[in-house]
Amino acid sequence: MKYWKYMIFAVCVLVAISLPKFLGVYPLQMLNIIFIYMALAVSWDMLLRSGQMSLGVAGFCGIGGYTTVLCTINLGLNPLVSILIGALLAGLIALLVGYAVLHLRLLYFAIVTLAVTEIFRILVRNFDITGGPEGIILPNAIFKGDAAGTYWLMLAIAVFTIILSWVFQKTRIHFALTSTANDEIVAASSGLNIFKYLVIVFVITSAIQGMVGGAYAQIYGFVTPESSFSVNFVLLPVTMVLLGGSNSTWGPVIGAVLLSVIAEALKLVIPYGHLLVYGIIMIVAILWLPGGIYGIFKKIGAKAHN
Amino acid sequence: MINSIVNKFRQRNFVLGFVAVLVIFVLLGIYKPYVLIEGIQRSSLYALIALPMALLLGVVGIINLAHGDFMMLGAYFAYFMNVQLGMDPLVAVVPALIVFFIFGMISYYITFKHVIGAPELNQLLLGFGLSLVLGQAVNIIATNQPRKLSLDYVSSSMKIGDFQFGTYEFIYVAAAILVLVGLQLFLKKTRTGQAALAVGQNPRGAKVVGININWIYLIVFAISVAIIGAIGPIFGTRNTIFPEVGLAYTLKSFALIAVAGIGSLTGVLWVSLILGLSECLVLSSLEYAKWSDIIFFALIIGVIMYRSHQRQVK
Repeated sequence: MKYWKYMIFAVCVLVAISLPKFLGVYPLQMLNIIFIYMALAVSWDMLLRSGQMSLGVAGFCGIGGYTTVLCTINLGLNPLVSILIGALLAGLIALLVGYAVLHLRLLYFAIVTLAVTEIFRILVRNFDITGGPEGIILPNAIFKGDAAGTYWLMLAIAVFTIILSWVFQKTRIHFALTSTANDEIVAASSGLNIFKYLVIVFVITSAIQGMVGGAYAQIYGFVTPESSFSVNFVLLPVTMVLLGGSNSTWGPVIGAVLLSVIAEALKLVIPYGHLLVYGIIMIVAILWLPGGIYGIFKKIGAKAHN
Repeated sequence: MINSIVNKFRQRNFVLGFVAVLVIFVLLGIYKPYVLIEGIQRSSLYALIALPMALLLGVVGIINLAHGDFMMLGAYFAYFMNVQLGMDPLVAVVPALIVFFIFGMISYYITFKHVIGAPELNQLLLGFGLSLVLGQAVNIIATNQPRKLSLDYVSSSMKIGDFQFGTYEFIYVAAAILVLVGLQLFLKKTRTGQAALAVGQNPRGAKVVGININWIYLIVFAISVAIIGAIGPIFGTRNTIFPEVGLAYTLKSFALIAVAGIGSLTGVLWVSLILGLSECLVLSSLEYAKWSDIIFFALIIGVIMYRSHQRQVK
C-alpha cells in the first residue's frame, strides 16, 4: 500500500479533468480562482520552507501578466507560448534580484521583494508601451473565453505546481533548505551551499508565479497596474498557507480550497471589509494553530497510528 | 545632552556630513526655494512617523508591521473627536496619547506578547495580520470614503519678498524634534529606558540582572503605539485619511530605519531628509513628477544591496 497516496492523487486529477462535463460556468470560474491561488500558495510555501518570506508574489504575477499580453499583442505569439515566456522572464528577473539580495535574511529580503513589486508597478504605469495607468486590453481572451479550456489550463498549472512541490520535497535541495531554516550556521558548516539553493528555489517559485500571472491575464483578457500587481496576490496565498499549514504541499492546497470558498460566501455577507476575516485567520493561525489545518490532521493521524 | 552634541562635531565624518547638508540646503535654497521648504516639511513628516518604529525595532527588536495603521487609527480618532465633540485635532493629541497607550498595551497582550522570542517570520506575519484587521475594521465602521477635516489654520502662509510658502507644516519639524529629544531623554535618563537598551542588547543577560523583560517589552511597545497614535491627529490635520493610508508609511518608516541603520534614532532624521528633499526635487519638475515614487524604492534597494554586498565582503 505504498502507492495509495499517488493513486488518490491520480483519481482526484482524473475527476477534476472530467468536471467541465458536469458543471456550469459559474462553478468552473470558482474553481479557476481556487487553482490560481492554490498555485500561488504552494509556490510561496516552497520558498517559505527555507525560512525566507517573499512579498514579491504580486510583482512576479504582474511581470508574467504584462509580458504575455505584450507578446501576444506585439509579436502575435500563441497565448500559451507567451505564458511560458512570461514565466521565463519572471524567473530571469528573480535570478537577478535573488543573486543580489538572497544574502539577506527575512525582513530585508521581504522588503526588497516588495520594493521590486512597487518598482515594476511604477514602471508599467509610466511607460507608453505598457499602456500607462489604463493598462492593455487583449482583443481576445484565451481559447476565445471557453470556460472548459481555461479551466483545464488552470488545472494544469495547479497540478504542475503541486507535483513540482511534491517532487521537490524529496530532493536534496529541500533537505538542505529545511536545515537552513532550522539553523543556518549548522547548515553552512556542514558544507551546504545555501545561497545557491536559495537562488534556485527563488527562481523556480517566481517563474511559477509569473506563469500564474500570465494565465490570469490571458483568461481575463486585460492587464492594469493596479489589478495585475494587486496586493491580493500576496495577501491571499499567505493567509491560505497559514490556515492550511505551512511547510507542506497539502497545507496550502487545503487552505486555498477552504479560503476561496469562505471568501466567496463572505463577499455576500460583508461586501466591504471581508478581508477582516483574513486578518483574524492570520493572527489566530500564528498564535494558536502553528501547523495549520494540515498539522491537526497530521497529529490525529500520528495518534491513530500509535 | 549639549556635551554629546559638541562631541559629535569632533568627529570628522559627522562634520563632513553636516557641511554637505548645509551646502545642499544653500544650493537648493537658491535654485528652488520652495523645494527646500517643502522638502524639509515632507522629510520631517517621514522622520516623525518613523521614529516610534525606530524605538520599537531599533531598541527592543520588535517589528510592528501594523505601525502605519495605528497612525491611521489616531487620525480617525481625531477626526471623530472633531466631528462629534468639536475638539481641535491638535488638542486631541493629548487624549490620543492616553488612549493609544492603553490600546497599545492591550494589543501587545493579545498578539505580540506571544511571538517574542519566536522566529522573526511570526512577528512579520502577525504584524501583517494585525494591520489587515485594523484597516478592515475601520473600513467596516467608517467606510472607505476619504475624509478630510477643514481647518482654517492649516493653510496659513508666510511671505518673504515675492516668495510665499505654507507655515503650518513646520509643525512636523517641531514635532519630529520633540519626539526625537523625548525618546533620547527616555532612553538615556530614565531607568526604564536604560533597561530597554539593556534588553535590546541581550534579553537573557537583562533577565539575569533582574530586569523584568516582559514589562519592558510591554512598556516600549505601548510607548511606541502611543506616540504613533498621537501623530495620527497631526497627520490628519493636513492629509486626507482613508483606511489604507497607513500602509505606505509603514513601508517608508521601515525603509528609513533600515537605511539609517537599525538602532540609530538620529540617523532616521538624516535619511528622511535625503528622501524628502529628493522626492520634492523630482516632484517639482513637471515632466518627471510621475517618477517621484520610484526614488524611495530605488533608495531602499540600493542601500540594502550595498549592505548585503558589505556583508559578503566581510
